[in-house]
Amino acid sequence: MKYNILFGGKAGQGANILTHLLAESLVEEGYYVFYYRDYQSLIRGGHGFNVLTFSDKPVHSHDSKVDVIVALDKNTVDKHQKNLKKGGVLIEGKDANMYFAGRMFKALGLPLKLLDKRLKKMKRYGENIKDVQRGYEYQSTVNSQQSMVLNIPKVQKAKRTFSSGSVGVAEGAVKSGIDNYFAYPMTPATAVLGELAQRQKEYGHLVLELENEIAVANAGAGSAITGAKTMVGTSGGGFCLMTEALSMCGISKIPLVFYLAQRAGPASGVATYNAQADLHMARHAGHGEFPRLVLAPGDPVEAQEITSQIFYLTQKFGVPGILISDKHLAESYYTTEHKPVITKVGHLTKFGRYTSYEQDPTTGSGTEDADVIIANVNERKKRWDALRAECEKFEGYKIYGKKNSKNCIVFWGSPKGAILDAIKGMDVCAIQILYVEPFPKKVGTILKKKDKIVAVENNATGQLCDVIREHTGMLIKDKILRYDARPFLCDELVKKFGRIFK
Amino acid sequence: MKAKKTQTADSKPQTANINTATPMTWCPGCYNFQILAGVKNYFSSELKKGKSKEDFAICSGIGCQGKIFDYINLNGLNTLHGRELPTSLGIKMGNPNLDVYAFIGDGGCFNEGVSHLVHAARENVDITCIVHNNQVFALTVGQPTGLTEQGFVDKTTPEGVTVKPFNPLKLVLSANATFVARVFADVKQVEWVLNEAKKHKGFKFIEIIQPCIIFHPDVGYKDYVHEIPKSHDVTDFYKAMKLIDDWDYNGIKKGDKINTGIFYKVKRETILDKHWQLKGLVKDKKQWKDRK
Repeated sequence: MKYNILFGGKAGQGANILTHLLAESLVEEGYYVFYYRDYQSLIRGGHGFNVLTFSDKPVHSHDSKVDVIVALDKNTVDKHQKNLKKGGVLIEGKDANMYFAGRMFKALGLPLKLLDKRLKKMKRYGENIKDVQRGYEYQSTVNSQQSMVLNIPKVQKAKRTFSSGSVGVAEGAVKSGIDNYFAYPMTPATAVLGELAQRQKEYGHLVLELENEIAVANAGAGSAITGAKTMVGTSGGGFCLMTEALSMCGISKIPLVFYLAQRAGPASGVATYNAQADLHMARHAGHGEFPRLVLAPGDPVEAQEITSQIFYLTQKFGVPGILISDKHLAESYYTTEHKPVITKVGHLTKFGRYTSYEQDPTTGSGTEDADVIIANVNERKKRWDALRAECEKFEGYKIYGKKNSKNCIVFWGSPKGAILDAIKGMDVCAIQILYVEPFPKKVGTILKKKDKIVAVENNATGQLCDVIREHTGMLIKDKILRYDARPFLCDELVKKFGRIFK
Repeated sequence: MKAKKTQTADSKPQTANINTATPMTWCPGCYNFQILAGVKNYFSSELKKGKSKEDFAICSGIGCQGKIFDYINLNGLNTLHGRELPTSLGIKMGNPNLDVYAFIGDGGCFNEGVSHLVHAARENVDITCIVHNNQVFALTVGQPTGLTEQGFVDKTTPEGVTVKPFNPLKLVLSANATFVARVFADVKQVEWVLNEAKKHKGFKFIEIIQPCIIFHPDVGYKDYVHEIPKSHDVTDFYKAMKLIDDWDYNGIKKGDKINTGIFYKVKRETILDKHWQLKGLVKDKKQWKDRK
């Protein structure tokens, strides 16, 4: 059993809160829920929609065809009716979002108390609950006449978490003992700024917004050298401004964590939409040669785990680390059962004399001495090797599906959800790369045993394929690339995989 | 420690414990030696009074002034060009119990990093910002900065600088800095102003007029220096503006007055006052790692 519900309307009509309340209530009832947010870069008006998918089995993605459309405006009907499945339900009308919440709760047979307790924590409870009741009652009258009832099987209740990739990064950071988070607002990284800001009271860390990303990265470096665990966050454009400071972290052994949430580029690109096109930038940003980490989680649990690992590794090896996510992972919500494994680390950095110049270790000052430069470069290379060895202890890659199949999919980051949902029952394995830099050694050996390899990436060139080519010599020719700034959908991938892996 | 005596431009600093073994590469006779001596005298006297080296952090950038980091054996970061202020802010946020000193050139402060300056002043970040103003990019062999006078000619501007410099002190005062001072690059004046700045809480902006002897020759700035009269009310914004306005940095003209001393000093909530996390660390004299 799997249902897709699309909520659409103008920005400001409240489709998001409607989606989120229903999603949380379904999770509490024991269903697995995922929802995706599609919104424009505007504040009021336009058109935005969310697709909520729920099932009695784990689900991590949404489909192009939907079972229900909840239309808060006429535009939603016009735009999405073509995607409504045969026999699907269209709920429309000129009413407030909470009216539709009431209708949906009745249509799905969900107890109203789940909604009521959530509304009580929000503003305008009285007004909202009236709308809910009106919608609920109306739906009771139509349930019997129209095919408005979705016969949702009851499932066993279970305690699960429901969170986004941004919540995952923030939770991972606080569990790693973050002290300072600096940022400048930029979609889709801003959600982590908000999540961490809201956790200040509970955890005691500091969140500061500074004048620009250059200030953010340099303040990050300043904070990190004092021993404070520090992270900075941005998206591609802001990250470009941070790269000189990234390079300084590289030469000065500064353990600064960079959270890079990708969106569709180049330049301002498509501000509120998705892409995975900044992998090469993350790998190569900053002038000069220095050790770094580029780690890519694919879901909120991995976001927590990888965030803790990047704090551990940056502290231990005095290197900058880039935690690369994207809009789809950062802003979609996922149900998770598996508890994250947090890697703990103390405050290992000692305050001392740091410099952006090549450093004479005896004075802490800059130097131009050739022998000292060689010694420093060799020290960086040695630390780089040590970092590589340590990274092999972590799950740098994961294999899903039929592990021994000769068919193979390779991917990184947020396509994970749609891929895992799509390959069910297929003769294929899927390999996820979490550690892009340093790249896990064993991946090449595994890939060489496969007959057919297909890469799935949200970019136009197949950047992971380049990384694999660089490290293994293998040329991956078959690529499923999506670059319309939208994420992969489960049903679309099922068709594509079906054609490739017969 | 020996008592201080008057130092010449390239005299050896009096105290050993904050010296480094790094050879000094400023030009012979450079006014940076005066600044360095004044700064070292200040730190040395602080250490004599019971402060420890671990109480201080220094930050400098790129350019001739940036080398000061190499000549003072205190912790900190010789950061990127123009990023001295955000780096210093980061150091302060990383350990709010550190007394942080940012040394910046006029190019770093008013060209590359000017956005940071106005925000540091507005936020009243608890750091001391020391600008070595020689009105030129000296280490890159003499290009004009935002503070260079009209008509200045170098290899990159053969027809001369076409626009007027802006007045750095008017800018920083307009950005709501709570402490604005100017001194000449003289060991005694530098030491004096640092001691004055020490008494103030918040963002302390100090301009040091430091003629470059190679690329922006000293046209006799010293002769135009006037001490701000003792009667000046340092809390009067408009009077401060007026005193600053006595020199427009656009060369030296008859009647110009390069006023030195404290133009402006007012109390205002600092960045430390605004964040309970930082206040807690200051109150308990703790670092982040010591918190539960």
